Amino acid sequence: MFSALGNLQPRQLAAQILNFALVLSTAFMLWKGLSVFTNSSSPIVVVLSGSMEPAFQRGDLLFLWNRGKETQVGEIVVYNVRGKDIPIVHRVIRRFGGGSAPLQLLTKGDNNAADDTELYARGQSYLDRSKDVIGSVVGYVPFVGYVTILLSEYPWLKTAMLGFMALTVVLQRE
Amino acid sequence: MGDTKISPHSLAELKNTTDDALGNYLRGLKFEQDNTKLDVRLAIGYASVVIAAATFAADYKLGWEATKTWTAVAVVAYALLNGAFTYWMWAVEKGCVFDGVREGKKISVASKTKKHDPTYYLTVSSANSGSKQITAPFTTWFTADGYFVAKPFQQWLASSVEAIGNADSKNALRDERDEIASPSPEVELTPQGNGTAEASGTDGKAKGSKRSKRKG
Repeated sequence: MFSALGNLQPRQLAAQILNFALVLSTAFMLWKGLSVFTNSSSPIVVVLSGSMEPAFQRGDLLFLWNRGKETQVGEIVVYNVRGKDIPIVHRVIRRFGGGSAPLQLLTKGDNNAADDTELYARGQSYLDRSKDVIGSVVGYVPFVGYVTILLSEYPWLKTAMLGFMALTVVLQRE
Repeated sequence: MGDTKISPHSLAELKNTTDDALGNYLRGLKFEQDNTKLDVRLAIGYASVVIAAATFAADYKLGWEATKTWTAVAVVAYALLNGAFTYWMWAVEKGCVFDGVREGKKISVASKTKKHDPTYYLTVSSANSGSKQITAPFTTWFTADGYFVAKPFQQWLASSVEAIGNADSKNALRDERDEIASPSPEVELTPQGNGTAEASGTDGKAKGSKRSKRKG
């Protein structure tokens, strides 16, 4: 199988490696393009917990939109707790400010007993719409995101998948 | 080249192996390969990969907010470069497998295959004789179990393409070609009869010379 690679001229080998590099970079640039379009640092997120049941289950894929400035009560937003990199998907239950004043939100998971004040960083009792919120949920696909959960819980899966992809693209010459 | 076995049912493998063999054969005949088309493709491709890598690095180091504008610019640039890349492959390269020069004469070879058709279509343009399409089934130079045999391939190329035949006279089968075009008459003079008249009433004309083609 690898002897096929050995018989290639150096330029052709460079062309094969370019094919694989283009697969990766196109996937990445599509993601970034979507980010720019939605103005969200992470336009697609996976639900990690059951705190929004029965609306969202663990493993659901959510599509975000971050260009809506006037987030209303009842909208579901995704935010990062200051200092932590874990996105949380919860519903807005109160809003303060808005219009010319900076918008502040209080959130709560549908399936939680208490609001998110406990989850926020120490000293923080509300979310800043412009700084903390990644986006509002505008659509979702159930269950598809479970792959991402598996990939993060078993990191060797990531390397295995990438290695397999690399092998197939570089050795294939169609 | 080693005895690499390929799947004779895969059209892509048949074509790629033949393309590679063609390149090797022509380079062996001292055709100087001109890599400009491939180089431009590699340049455009790797430029876009570099842009993607730079965007990745910037995002990793500085985060989303700080790099938003650069990312937007990079995405547009990447899309343009990729478009150029695809255009180059489709319109300019157009199946080119070899561009070269030998003794001042340019030659350009492009290959293609059609779906479910085990035939090799070659379009050869040389400096003096314009563009010519030649075809042959892959079975001409592939065994049933997928081994490539160089000799029939080289013979087909050398006898079908003037420029290649000029470079490789052994495989060009020029003698055979010329013989079929205008067979040389081999006149065989049979020994004459003694010319004396025969009582049986024949003309007495001696049997004339016999014309026969002597098999070379």
